[in-house]
Amino acid sequence: MTRILLIEDDTETAEAILAELGDRGFEVQWAGNGVDGLDRARASSPDAMIVDRMLPGMNGLTIIETLRKDHIRTPVLVLSALGAVDDRVRGLRTGGDDYLTKPFALVELVARIEALLRRPTERRATRLQVGSLELDLIERTARRGERRLDLLPREFRLLEYMVRRNDQLLTRAMLLEEVWHYKFVPATTNLIDVHMGRLRHKVDGPGEAQLIHNVRGSGFVLRSRS
Amino acid sequence: MPQTQLIRSSTFLWALAVAASFALFVVALFAFIYWKLDAYLVARSDRMITTQISFVAELSPARRVSAIADHLAQDSRGVQYAGLFDAAGKRLAGNIDRVPRELGLDGAAQGVQLDLSEKPTAHSPVVRAVGRRLDGGDVLVMGRNVDETREISSVVGQALALGLLPAFSLCLLAGVWLSLRAQRRVEEVNQRVQRIVAGELRERLPEGGTDDPFARLARIVNGMLDEMETMINALAGVGNDIAHDLRTPLTRVRLALERGRTHAATLEQLQDVTDKAIAGIDQSLAIVTALLRLTEIENNRRMAGFGEVPLDEILREVCDVYEPIAEDKHVGLGVVTERSVQVWGDRDLLFEAVANLVDNAIKFTPSGGRVELALETEDDTALLRVSDTGPGISEQEREAVLRRFYRSDKIRSTPGIGLGLSLVAAIVKLHGFRLIIGPAPGGRIEILAWTGRAGRAITHRSRALLHADAGQMG
Repeated sequence: MTRILLIEDDTETAEAILAELGDRGFEVQWAGNGVDGLDRARASSPDAMIVDRMLPGMNGLTIIETLRKDHIRTPVLVLSALGAVDDRVRGLRTGGDDYLTKPFALVELVARIEALLRRPTERRATRLQVGSLELDLIERTARRGERRLDLLPREFRLLEYMVRRNDQLLTRAMLLEEVWHYKFVPATTNLIDVHMGRLRHKVDGPGEAQLIHNVRGSGFVLRSRS
Repeated sequence: MPQTQLIRSSTFLWALAVAASFALFVVALFAFIYWKLDAYLVARSDRMITTQISFVAELSPARRVSAIADHLAQDSRGVQYAGLFDAAGKRLAGNIDRVPRELGLDGAAQGVQLDLSEKPTAHSPVVRAVGRRLDGGDVLVMGRNVDETREISSVVGQALALGLLPAFSLCLLAGVWLSLRAQRRVEEVNQRVQRIVAGELRERLPEGGTDDPFARLARIVNGMLDEMETMINALAGVGNDIAHDLRTPLTRVRLALERGRTHAATLEQLQDVTDKAIAGIDQSLAIVTALLRLTEIENNRRMAGFGEVPLDEILREVCDVYEPIAEDKHVGLGVVTERSVQVWGDRDLLFEAVANLVDNAIKFTPSGGRVELALETEDDTALLRVSDTGPGISEQEREAVLRRFYRSDKIRSTPGIGLGLSLVAAIVKLHGFRLIIGPAPGGRIEILAWTGRAGRAITHRSRALLHADAGQMG
């Protein structure tokens, strides 16, 4: 069972996160302050950690720094009410692996934790395959069974990102940050949906099993099995 | 405690220090003059008595007595001394009782104490004297009183008192006056600042007619206060706009939740209501996020990310992102750009600015229209243009669209949070570029950027003068 350590001082937020992650089958430990959190992180070596930035006793970033100095490489998702780009950069530079601004959607939190737990497929691979979908990373071509997919470079980039993280919920924010390198929220809110619509149209032909799924209100998944 | 304050004030202390060092210097100068003068007078009288003694010694023994008497008779000031003694030390002539014991004979002139025969004074004077043993065993002593130096010292002392005391007092007075004046001005500034702190934003510091550093400082502070007053007033206006834009979605959320609570009969209905509520909250949050972002850019904290940025690449990337959106709306999107146009700036922010312009252009261009991105260079400038076949921005609206939350009446129904152009304006301002809004009909917004080495300097300078070019936008 995957074990997660949550270091968060706000009881209500913590309870909501505990309940949601519990429902998803995670075993979650909760520490209400920084000192306790650091002790538990050292003692129980969890698989992933969720750390609030502003904590009584010890700053969240200090905890991460301390752990990294001790060569504890547990993936950390930083939670913060500080949303500015600079704060985010500082959070990631300190050793956090991902950064989520409060307030956040629970699905977003779960998606990011799952992404942290499941590192993407080996980077050096030259071919990727999910079901009948095949990507040639050198030729930059894609096939669905016998059918050759005619993809634009931006569509190939998106598909490659999804294939590397198949069966994983990818939220719009994650796609914006990772595929388009957006550092801001675009005014047009359906930007990702339009791109995804195009890609899905090309990947899932008529009569073929659907690979790209829209998860209502959350994001998208590329499912290897239906 | 005004007295202690006065004494502690640096102006006063400085004046005191200057006065003291001036006095020391003058005293040293006068001492030097006195010392030099004294040495000169002693040397002069030494020469005189040496000459006199040689003269008398040359005379025949018989004429010596009368010569000495003559010599003393001619001395009206009573400063000359002479004495002729036989080998046994008995006085033959002159006004000295006996040969001074410490006087070396046949030597140079020296200061000795004399015993006088005629003047029964309480103290025997110290004089310069020279003695010589003559042929036949007689001893001749001649001296001269150098008490003149005492007179000189008293003159010097008087001069010192006459010059130094007034100068010293003047220095002190000037110090007191300057320090009092400075204190009065500080006190006045303090009172005005207190009023400003209390909320009297119109209050300004006294600038005075002069051009002294204090007045210049006051002018600088007043300039800053002008800027702040404008900003605070603008913020007060914006506050209402924010309240309005936040209240609208929050009201919808509240209504939806209220109705859902009483009317939802099934789980699906309740979920539907919750979805609506979440969407409303998300919109409110988006406004807050956008506002924070705007503040972040305006506060000029993101200088770390500055470097050479290829503008042409940014244009192509934005075009790549927005192509499907435009296609969906049946709006043509085209880009005409020159190769490798480099400007000095923050890549992410410039991308955000261009993306916002294109986003807006597509949003406000009716189906069947066209959005064009163009990049032209000339000498040291690059002109980035986003034009569309939409309604454009009318003359009256040009200033307003740059304000936060402004949304033209015509487009109130179009989704968006009305911060797009303010954000673009803030980014453009941060880079020291110019934002030019073309005349309607047809949307046309241009960013005039500086390229190459010159651009870098302008961008750097504009950071220092950020507020100065606010008036040149639009």
